[in-house]
Amino acid sequence: MNKMVRKANAFEIVNHWVLAGSFFVLAVSGFGFLFQLEQLNSVFGSFNTMKVWHNWAGVVFIVSLVLTIVHYLSVSLRFTSDDMEWFSKAGGYLSRRVKAPPQDELNAGQKLYYLVVLVAGIAISASGLVIWLRPASSDITRLVLISHLIHNICFDLLVFAIPAHIYLATLANPGTFRIMVYGTVPLEWARKRHQKWVQKIGV
Amino acid sequence: MARKALLISPERCIGCRGCQTACKEWNHLPGTKTVNRGTVENPPDLTPYLYNRIRYIETATEADMVRWLFVSQRCMHCGDAGCIKICPAPGALFRTKEGAVAFNKEKCIGCKLCVAGCPFDVPRYDDKDKISKCHLCYDRTSEGLLPACAKTCPTGAIRYGERDALIGMAKKEGYGKVYGEADLDGLGALYAFIDPPKLYGMSEKPAIPESVVFWHKVLKPLAYIGLGGAVAAAVLHYVAFGPKKDEEVKKDE
Repeated sequence: MNKMVRKANAFEIVNHWVLAGSFFVLAVSGFGFLFQLEQLNSVFGSFNTMKVWHNWAGVVFIVSLVLTIVHYLSVSLRFTSDDMEWFSKAGGYLSRRVKAPPQDELNAGQKLYYLVVLVAGIAISASGLVIWLRPASSDITRLVLISHLIHNICFDLLVFAIPAHIYLATLANPGTFRIMVYGTVPLEWARKRHQKWVQKIGV
Repeated sequence: MARKALLISPERCIGCRGCQTACKEWNHLPGTKTVNRGTVENPPDLTPYLYNRIRYIETATEADMVRWLFVSQRCMHCGDAGCIKICPAPGALFRTKEGAVAFNKEKCIGCKLCVAGCPFDVPRYDDKDKISKCHLCYDRTSEGLLPACAKTCPTGAIRYGERDALIGMAKKEGYGKVYGEADLDGLGALYAFIDPPKLYGMSEKPAIPESVVFWHKVLKPLAYIGLGGAVAAAVLHYVAFGPKKDEEVKKDE
């Protein structure tokens, strides 16, 4: 029987699912608005209802995103020489022979991914709030147009980054997904992927 | 069906504002309380309950002669409409078979993006947060009637008909250039100006905001390309390199 170590606590797991769930609603309805997908009326009922879902899922997303800062920000801001080496070797993903350098609680790619999600998430939230809560006045047209642009640039970024994250956390790395269900991983698994972290917690 | 349009001739307008009133009457738009600003022009701007308004412009020309110009301000019914382009709700803003830009309040989701997408600052929002603007009386024109404004105009300052015929008419009347002939794929409200458009309070080169064009041409397709690209990259990676299995990681050591 493998010894297990805890990688995520219950709060982290629940919050991750809340963030993922709200993002899914936002992205689907976002595509609906972007391309006027009337097929989505069979899910949301009408575009008016879909807007309500989109706006309030956005509120959930913002709260959840802010809460992730507790878990991931400080570690994500600490880039080491090992992380630079990880990037130069593409994390060992583009060859079966290359060995990635030892990694912390989050590997270099995960750190970068988190920072991208945090920055793009804050930008898409702020611009979304402007579009949602603005008065109808044309005096603020410039602000609305900039928000519209930022909202869509971040959307393009996130609809690329998040499917990539889902792939890397499931099919590409068997054994990873259980962190978001049980929060624990086999010690051996952790040693291979987060060596520095395992040393730090001293299991 | 040939595209229909309005031809507005400020030189013929006597400023009676019959069109303002007729428009309100046909569209059941309530009156609005305004204040005396020391000008005949009233109300000072388009409102959710005022689709068409006569602008009164006092101006001195190069010949130093004071002129008083009366110009109808309203939705221009652009051939390439910024409001339709940016609108996320299907059917909220739509083109009628006569070529006008009309709206359906039930489909409008109240996002107000059309306010930012309009080159002419036309869309207004009513107290229920729904779009409100001139729809060229498509509920009349579809039945072969004239729009309320054109119907009531006593001097022919607002004329309605086939767009090409109206342009021909204006040229025959001696107007070399018709405002809105080519801009934005042709406007549905044409203006016969004898002086530069600026004098009449119109922008010389109306255009959809560049960011909206960029969004439409680049960012929109990128959303599909990004999502598809991520999925395709994942499939390719899985096939070409495969997953990082624990056993393989072990073997690497």
